[in-house]
Amino acid sequence: MDVFNSLWLGLGVAMQPMNLLFCFAGVFIGTLIGVLPGIGPVAAMSLLLPITFNITPEAAIIMLAGIYYGSMYGGSTTSILVNIPGEAASVITCLDGYQMARNGRAGPALGMAAIGSFIAGTLAVVGLMLLAPTLARVAVKFGPAEYFSLMVLGLTILVWLSQGSIIKALIMACLGVVLGLVGIDSITAMPRLTFDQMQLIDGLGLVPIVMGLFGIAEILNNLEQRLDREVFQARVEGLMPTKEDWKRSAGPIARGSVLGFFLGILPGGGAVISSFLSYAMEKRLSKTPERFGKGAIEGVAGPETANNAAAGAGFIPLLTLGIPPNVVMALLLGAFIVHGVQPGPLMMTQNPQLFWGVVASMYIGNVMLLVLNMPLIGLWVQLLKVPYKILFPMILLFCVIGAYSVSNQVFDVYLMLGFGILGWLMKKYGYEPAPLVLAFVLGPMLENNLRKSMILSQGDFMMFLERPISAVCLACAVLLLVSPLLPIFNKQRKQLATEES
Amino acid sequence: MRPASTPLARRTLLGAALALPAIGSARAQAWPARPVTLIVPWPAGGSTDVSMRAMAEAAAKHLGQQVVVDNKPGAAGTLGGATMAATARPDGYTIAQMPISMFRLPYMQKTSFDPQKDFTYISNLTGYTFGVVVKKDSKFQTFKELIEAARAEPGKITYATPGAGTTLHITMEQIAAAAGVKWTQVPFKGGAETSAAVMGGHVSATADSTGWGPLVDAGELRLLCTWGGARTKKWPNVPTLTELGFPIVSDSPFGIAGPRNMNPVAVQKLDEAFRAAMQDKAVLDTLEKFDMAPRYMPTADYIKFVNETIAEQKVLIERLGLKTS
Repeated sequence: MDVFNSLWLGLGVAMQPMNLLFCFAGVFIGTLIGVLPGIGPVAAMSLLLPITFNITPEAAIIMLAGIYYGSMYGGSTTSILVNIPGEAASVITCLDGYQMARNGRAGPALGMAAIGSFIAGTLAVVGLMLLAPTLARVAVKFGPAEYFSLMVLGLTILVWLSQGSIIKALIMACLGVVLGLVGIDSITAMPRLTFDQMQLIDGLGLVPIVMGLFGIAEILNNLEQRLDREVFQARVEGLMPTKEDWKRSAGPIARGSVLGFFLGILPGGGAVISSFLSYAMEKRLSKTPERFGKGAIEGVAGPETANNAAAGAGFIPLLTLGIPPNVVMALLLGAFIVHGVQPGPLMMTQNPQLFWGVVASMYIGNVMLLVLNMPLIGLWVQLLKVPYKILFPMILLFCVIGAYSVSNQVFDVYLMLGFGILGWLMKKYGYEPAPLVLAFVLGPMLENNLRKSMILSQGDFMMFLERPISAVCLACAVLLLVSPLLPIFNKQRKQLATEES
Repeated sequence: MRPASTPLARRTLLGAALALPAIGSARAQAWPARPVTLIVPWPAGGSTDVSMRAMAEAAAKHLGQQVVVDNKPGAAGTLGGATMAATARPDGYTIAQMPISMFRLPYMQKTSFDPQKDFTYISNLTGYTFGVVVKKDSKFQTFKELIEAARAEPGKITYATPGAGTTLHITMEQIAAAAGVKWTQVPFKGGAETSAAVMGGHVSATADSTGWGPLVDAGELRLLCTWGGARTKKWPNVPTLTELGFPIVSDSPFGIAGPRNMNPVAVQKLDEAFRAAMQDKAVLDTLEKFDMAPRYMPTADYIKFVNETIAEQKVLIERLGLKTS
């Protein structure tokens, strides 16, 4: 069947009034949970899963998929407005998004995030449609050795580009790696750093750590200062991105889409890695890298585009191989099976209605999201005018609910408060939380893949150099690491990572 | 951090209070007078959760009271049972799904519960379908060939599992020990990664639950054996381990249990309700979708089975060296 006939068939399914309604319900719920910190798509989708038992498989999957990519749209909102990333993929958006809000440019930041997301989301669907089967096959070629080298490169870029002291960034990254070790060792199943506490067997939760380090710490930090409106007293200058913003963002959006799309196909953390790699890349390519961290729109447009492209691309391995690349896709796999459909190589031929219906609904859903989100920007920006004495307790409340709702454990609420205090201290002494969080996510993946590679090669380190993708990644990392020793590069790095006053 | 002594003391007190016969019988007549909470120690939406929800619904019809599913994931599926053991009253209104990790984890690290003493076992319900797959262009046509390759070159054959210390890992090592061969486990994280690992040619084979199903049906992967007591409905041409000469049935069976010293009337009524649920068409349909074979056992059989499993796990964990000192 040729692609356009198929798409036509899919549009027919997606345009049925019932399916349109569920598509809208999905993206609407997705936007809401994306905005609420902590309450992520996994929680929302698992709560709504039983409700979908009584509707058609098409409507069910269309709605659940809508929740997922809808939440990616909404996810940037809290990062930009109140410096709380709802999930790891929005951590990097805080750096410049929140600074833009402080400069009174919350509107353009939100607008550019939504537009970038729309473009990336749509491109990802096109890619999914045209390239899905081929790409899925390439993605499985990524074995433990390739992942390991990609992680090494990622962590190196992270430290290299962090603002301020490289020593402090390294300390934070190391702390993140150590925190990531807590729990059952993935290779030998031995408990590590669990101190015989059952809550620690599965490791520390990402959500409580992220919300503590960013959200709670930000509140504590603000409380220390005088409680007038010093932060957002700058007048909100226009809600829409300016011509200048567009010019700056075009490149990051294009590059972010491509980067996010390809990393999104890989199992495991594609959205997170792509968002910070995009940030790193934009900072590297920028003629004015010193603006990064102080409210550069490129630092919002790139990562937000990349994580949406990754979200869309994540459907490829699920729909074509039945292999879910992340937790959300695993949940969606469950939903397919409950409805008697097995995603996999045969799905496109056995259930063309469903496959193409879902793909077509994503086009429609992305348009709905744009229409839904643009008018809301004005509303969100109004939120910044809410007095602190009301806003702060509300943020705290949502953080507590969010931390609890992910795991249903009070322990996670304490964990979040603990990291809140740690984050406040870190900020006081000039340590950045971003390297910690990303090392916490990447550290265990790095270790796991290194050890798996060693098992597979029977202890031969040459494996990393013999495989081309892996070798290229490692070579880039080495180049970055030795670059401070070479005078020309060092000058450039200093220029890129100007010390924050 | 939670002190371990407080819940224990509380549990003992509660147990003592319910041992008084007057209270026991007063409760028994009215049981169940209110909804029963069923703790499922897995995230909502997964195969275990969805099948338990179907059973809860069917059992509720029989009990005349709702059975409310409460997801408490964590600690490899033991946090739900552990919380119940520490805090729930043994009145039958709180029960929990008991995955095999409840019997395994205590031998791997210190836990707050003792599976032998802290629970009242009610009934066993079902288990999963496991199997070994290779890539379609793999030179191994049968499971025997895979074993012989491992014999020829000890340690060279690699297999992916969804994690170290899982039933998949333990059973593969049991097979190796029985055949007198050596092969190498590569533990991945969950089922998604194991399918990708074998598809990408990174490992020789994958041992996992039926996440490989669609790829087998599409001819991308070859299923060499399944580990149930009988051949599967979906892949009837694929032999079981028993047929291949390994008397092993491995399906991580799970059932339900309540806190220790549970009201016996509630145990009996719950057992009856879940027996009925295991004959319910909606339940059987759901189980089939996830390739889970019904394996109901009444209370007495289940208690015997649990005791055997606990003893067996101790030996297996020690043999594999998974025990912490």
